[in-house]
Amino acid sequence: MRVTKMSVLGLPVALTALLLTGCKGHRHSSGTDEFPRDQTLYLAGSQWGDPNSFNPLAESWQAAWPVGDKFNLMYEPLLSYNSLTGQVEPDLGTLVSKDNDSIVVDLNPAAKWSDGKPVTSDDVKFVFDLGRRYKDAATAFAVEFIAKIDVKTVDDKGVKTERLSFLVDKKGRNNPLVILDLLQAIRIVPAHVFEPLIAAANNDLGAVKKLKVDSAPVVSGPYTLQHYSNEKIVLERRDDYWGNAALHDGKLPAPKYIIHPIFKSNDAFAIALQKGDLDASQTFIPRIWQKFKDGVGTWDDKAPYYVPGAIPLLVINTTKAPLNDKNFRRAMAAAINYADIKELAVSGYANDLKPGLILPFGQEGKYFDEGEAAKHAVKTGIESAKKILADAGYKAVFKADGSLDYTTDKAGNKLPTLSIKSPAGWSDWEAMVNIAVKAMRDAGIDVREGFVDAGLYWPAKPSGDFDILMDKPAAAVTPSLPWSRFEALMSSRNWAPVGGDNKMNENQGRYNSPKSKDYNPKVDSLLKVIPITTDSAALKKAYTELNDIFLDDQPAIPLVYLPEQFYEFSTAAWTNWPTSKDPYAPPLLPWVGASTKILWQLKPVE
Amino acid sequence: MLKQHPTARFILQRAGWYLLTFLVAVTINFFLPRLGTSNPVDIILAKSTGGLSAQAAREKEESYLKEFGLVKLDGHGNILRDTTIRTVKVWDAAKQASVSKPDTLIKPIKASSLDQFFTYVKMSLSGDLGTSFQKYPKKVLDVIVQAVPWTIALQLPTIVFGWIVGNVLGALAAYRRGMFDRVFFPVALLVSSIPFFVFGMLLVYYFAVVLGWFPAMGGYADEIIPSFSFEFFGSVAYHYVLPFFSIFLILAGGQAIGMRSMGIYELGTDYIKYAKWLGIKESRVLIYLFRNAMLPQLTGLALSLGTMIGGALITEMIFSYPGLGMAMLSAIQNNDYPMIQGVTLIITTCVLIANFTVDIMIGFLDPRVKAGLQMGGN
Amino acid sequence: MKLLKNLLKSPMFVIGASLFFGTILVALFAPLFYSVTLDRVGEQYAAPGAGHLLGTDNLGRDYISLLIMGLRSSLYVGFLAGIIATAVGTLLGIYGGFKGGWIDDLLNMLTNLFIVIPSFVVLILISASFKDGRSLTLIGLIIGATTWTWSARAVRAQSSALKSRDHIWLARINGDGTLAILVKHILPYLLSYVFMVFILQIASGILSEAAISMIGLGPLDTQSLGVILNDAKSNGALGDGVWWAFIPSTVLITMIVFALYLINTSMEGVFNPRLRK
Repeated sequence: MRVTKMSVLGLPVALTALLLTGCKGHRHSSGTDEFPRDQTLYLAGSQWGDPNSFNPLAESWQAAWPVGDKFNLMYEPLLSYNSLTGQVEPDLGTLVSKDNDSIVVDLNPAAKWSDGKPVTSDDVKFVFDLGRRYKDAATAFAVEFIAKIDVKTVDDKGVKTERLSFLVDKKGRNNPLVILDLLQAIRIVPAHVFEPLIAAANNDLGAVKKLKVDSAPVVSGPYTLQHYSNEKIVLERRDDYWGNAALHDGKLPAPKYIIHPIFKSNDAFAIALQKGDLDASQTFIPRIWQKFKDGVGTWDDKAPYYVPGAIPLLVINTTKAPLNDKNFRRAMAAAINYADIKELAVSGYANDLKPGLILPFGQEGKYFDEGEAAKHAVKTGIESAKKILADAGYKAVFKADGSLDYTTDKAGNKLPTLSIKSPAGWSDWEAMVNIAVKAMRDAGIDVREGFVDAGLYWPAKPSGDFDILMDKPAAAVTPSLPWSRFEALMSSRNWAPVGGDNKMNENQGRYNSPKSKDYNPKVDSLLKVIPITTDSAALKKAYTELNDIFLDDQPAIPLVYLPEQFYEFSTAAWTNWPTSKDPYAPPLLPWVGASTKILWQLKPVE
Repeated sequence: MLKQHPTARFILQRAGWYLLTFLVAVTINFFLPRLGTSNPVDIILAKSTGGLSAQAAREKEESYLKEFGLVKLDGHGNILRDTTIRTVKVWDAAKQASVSKPDTLIKPIKASSLDQFFTYVKMSLSGDLGTSFQKYPKKVLDVIVQAVPWTIALQLPTIVFGWIVGNVLGALAAYRRGMFDRVFFPVALLVSSIPFFVFGMLLVYYFAVVLGWFPAMGGYADEIIPSFSFEFFGSVAYHYVLPFFSIFLILAGGQAIGMRSMGIYELGTDYIKYAKWLGIKESRVLIYLFRNAMLPQLTGLALSLGTMIGGALITEMIFSYPGLGMAMLSAIQNNDYPMIQGVTLIITTCVLIANFTVDIMIGFLDPRVKAGLQMGGN
Repeated sequence: MKLLKNLLKSPMFVIGASLFFGTILVALFAPLFYSVTLDRVGEQYAAPGAGHLLGTDNLGRDYISLLIMGLRSSLYVGFLAGIIATAVGTLLGIYGGFKGGWIDDLLNMLTNLFIVIPSFVVLILISASFKDGRSLTLIGLIIGATTWTWSARAVRAQSSALKSRDHIWLARINGDGTLAILVKHILPYLLSYVFMVFILQIASGILSEAAISMIGLGPLDTQSLGVILNDAKSNGALGDGVWWAFIPSTVLITMIVFALYLINTSMEGVFNPRLRK
C-alpha cells in the first residue's frame, strides 16, 4: 500500500471540480426564474443588522428597512419633501397651506389600504394620538408641537375630501417648521388593524410594539414584504397600489421586486457595485470616479460628485477650561486645514467650506450672507491660529523636532491634553479627526485623537462627558433646516450642567448657560422667532444674526459638507437614474421621500 | 468500589472537573460584561432621543430599563424608586471643578447583578436564553440557531480537510525526505506564515473582482431563497469555494509542518528501527508510526473543532458570511448582555466538550496513561 | 558554545535569525537614517514614486514611514505578548505537570477557563476603563494573558514526562523541596523547549495583533502592521487595486513569522538530531 503523491494531491483537485460544476458565471448574473434580473432591483445600505421587526409602531432603530426610518415603500407619510427643489410634494396628502397658525393638508380620497379600506383621517389621528395616550409611543414628541388636529370635509371638484388642519401649539413649542418636518416623516398606519391589537393587549402599547408584523401586513404603499432573512429583505410590487393611478398617471413602478442584501462590511458594497450585482447603494465609497469605468455612476460625474446636505462638526464642551475661552475655540477653528479634510477624508465630495452653519447653496443658500460671515469668521491658517492664541495669552512650547510639547495659559498653568471623542471604525470621521488634530498641534493646541468604541461614544454625547466630540447633528434634509442645525447646537432650552445624571439631547456642548453671567438671550430669542417668521427679508436677517453669533462664539467647528445620504448606482441592469444632467428627483435611494418616484422612471437594460 | 474500575473513575473524575469549569465559566461570562461602565440602554437611548425633552427621554429610558429587566419592580410591575436623598457631582463651569449637589432626580432602583444572575439561571434552565437588547425583540436562541449552521459549515469541513491533507502531506515528507521534502517543507512553512485574512482579501480581489470567476461575498446568491433544492445547495457550494480556500491552505500548511516533525521523530525511534530490521512489512511499520505520531495531532484537531465556533470572525467579515462571529462582535460592542451570554455559553460548551473528549481519548489511546491508571497512579 | 555552533551550521537557522534580527535592526535604527514623518507628502493613495518609494496612504502619508512605525509596534506587541504568555504558561505548566494530582487538575481547569473566555470581551472591557483606551501595551498584555494556555499545555506535557526520571527520584529521596527540584532539575532540561515555545508565542502574538486590528479592536492611537492593513481594507484600497496599501505590510508580517518559524524548526533540529538531516 503505497501512498502516492498523486492520490494525495488529487483529493483537493477533485473536490474543487465538484464544487465548480454547481456554478454559473457571476458577473451581473442572469437572475433566477423566481427573480428575473430585468424585474429585480438590488439596493443596499439602509439595513445593517438582522431584520427583526416590520412593525411601524416600533422605534425607528428596531424596525427593519423599509419600515424603520423615513422610507415610504410600505407605509407612507402625508407629504414628501424634495430637498432639491424645496417643494413639498404630495403623498397620502396634499399641502394646502402653511402659516404660523396651522398647516393644512388634504387627504387624497383615492388613498387605500391593501385590504381595500380607504385611508381616512381616523388613521392619521390614530398615529398622532398615540403620542398623547402613551409616553413610549414613537410619536410622543409630536405632542409638544401639535395642539390639535381638526378635520372637516370639503368638496374638491366634486370629490369629497377630508381636510386636516394641524394646529400649531402656540403655548408650547410654537414651531410650524417642525410640524412640517413631522408630516413628511411620520408614516400613517391602519387604525383598524392596530387599534384592536392594542385593545387585545389590554392597552399595553409595549406589547404591541413587540409584534413583528411581518406576514401579509396591511399597507398603503407601492410595495409589500414578500420574504426576509438575515441575509436579505425582499419586497414585491403591489399592482393595486392607489398611487399608481392617482400620482403616476397609471404607470407601474418598473421593478417587480426590490431586494436589499445585507452586507457585513463596508468594502462589500463597492465590490458588488463594480460587478453589477448591486444596482444602487447608500454608503461612503471613496474615489468613486475610479469606478465609473465599471458602469458605476453618481449625481455628478465631476467634483463634488454629490449634493451636500449635512455638516459633520466638532462639538466643544464649553464648560471646561481652556475650551470655555472663545478665543481658544476660534484658534482651533483657524488652525484646521479644511482643504485637506475635503480632499483626503471625503474624496473631494463637497463644495468649499464657508463659515457658519448655513449651507451656501441649494435651499439654504438664500439665507447665507457671505460678506457678513466673512466679517465674523476667523482667518484660517496655522499662522493666524498662532496669533489668536498668542493674543489671548497662551504660550505653546515646542520640542526640538518641531512637535508640540505643551501649552500654558495666561497664568502660566500647563493646559491638559484635550481629546476628540469619535467612534472607532467610521473611516471618514477618523480621517477628519486625524487631519484636524495634526493641524491643531502644529499651531500649538495640545489635542489628541480619542477614538472610542460605540459603547463609550454614544452615552458620552447626552451626558457631556467629553472635551470635544465628533457629531453630525440634523443630518436629514428637512424643511426646518437650517434652523434645526442651530437649535441642535445652540439652544439653551433644556440646559443642564455636565455630571450627575444630567442628559441633554441638544446643545451637548452646554453652550450659553442661562445661569451664567455671559448668557446671551439673543440666541434663544432668535431660535424662537425664526420658525414663525414668514417675511423672507426678515428671515435672512435673523439667520445672518444667528450665524454671526455662532461665528463669534464658535461653540462648534464645522469640518466639511457631506451629502444627506450617499447615492451611487450601477447602469449594468437598470438605467435612467436621476443625475445633475437629468435632475427629476433628488439624489437619494428610491425609497426615501421625494426620490421614490425614481422607481417609476427606471428602465431595464435589454 | 470505584477503585476496581479505574477507567470509570478516570472518566468520572474528568467529567467532574469539566462540570466545575463549565459552571465557573458561565458565571464569569455573566458578570464580565456587566463590570463595564456603559449600560446597553444608554447606547440605545443616545441613538434615538434626539430632540426629545429631558422628561420624555427619562421616561423612555425607564421603559427600556424595565423591558430589559435592569430595574427592580414591585409586585404590580411598577418600578421601585430610590427616595433617599443623595448627592451627585456636577461640573461647575465658574469654579472649573466638580461640586456636590443634592440629586433632584428620583431614580429607579437598578437590579443588582446578582438578581439578574438568578433570573438568568432560572430562565436558562427552562431553555429561554433571553431576548437580545440590540436585535430587540429577537430571542437570543433564534439568533444563535440561525447563525451557527453557517459558522459550522464554514469551519468544520475546512478544519477537517485541512487536517487530513496537511497530515498526509507531512507524513509523506517525513517518510520520503529527499527532493520532495526539501521543496515542500519551506513552502509549507511560508504558507502557514501568511495571515489568513489577508490571504482571503487577496483571493477575493483576484478571483472575484478581477477575474470574476467566483462570487465576492455572501453565503449564497442574492436572488435565491433558502430551500431544499439543488439550486440552493449549488449556490452555497459556489459561494463556499473562496472562503474555504482562504483558510484551508494555511491550515494544511501548519498541519503538514507538525506532522512532518512528529513523523521524523518517530521514524528515528528505536522501535521503528527494530521493526524495520526485523523485516516487518513497510505498510505495517507505517501504521505503527502514524498511530503514535497521530496522537498530538488528534489533540490539535479536537481543540480546533472546539474553538471553531468563535474562530471564523474575520473570514465571516471579509466574505459577509452569515455566521456567529459577526453576531458576537456586534453584541460585545453594544454591550448586549443576553447575546454575549448566549454566545459564550455555546463556545464554552463546545470547547469543554472538545477538551473532555481529548482527555478521554488520550486516556484510552496512550498506553502510558493507561498503565499509569492501572498502577493506581495519579 | 557548542549549541550555538551547531545552530549556526544549520542554514535554516542562519536565514531565519538574520531575517528576524534584520527586521529588529530596521525597526530600531531606521529612523536614524530615514526621516519618518506623518506629514502629508503626496496625493491620496499615490503610486510608488519619488519621495514616497512605497506610495502613500489615504491621508497622503508616506508608507515607508508608516511601515517603520508599524513594524516597531507589532514587534513590541509580539515580544510583550510572547514574554507574558511564555512566563505564565511555563510556570503553570511546570508546576502542574510535576505535581500532578488535584493541583494539576486545578491548573487544567484554570487553563480551560482562559480558553473559554473570549479575549474580545476582556479587550473591550478593559480598554473602556483605561483613560488611554486601547494602547499597544494593553493589547500586548491581553494577548499574552489569553494565549498562555498553549504554552502551559506544551510545557506541562514535558514536565509530566520528566518527573518520572531517575534523577528526579534521587533528588526527592535527598529531600529537596518542590521548588528546588523544579529549578535545579527540571527547568534546565526544559530551557531549550521553553525557548522554542517563546519563539512561537512571539509569532502568534504578532499574528494575533494583526487579527485584532482587522476586526477593528486594534490600538487606537498608533500605527501597527495590523492597523495599516485594516485602514487599507476600510478605505476601499482593495477594490481600487491599490496594492501598495496592503502587500508590503503583509510581506513584512509573513516574513517575520516565517523567520521565527525557521528559527524554531532549526532549533528543533539541533535539540533532536534525528530531525536535522
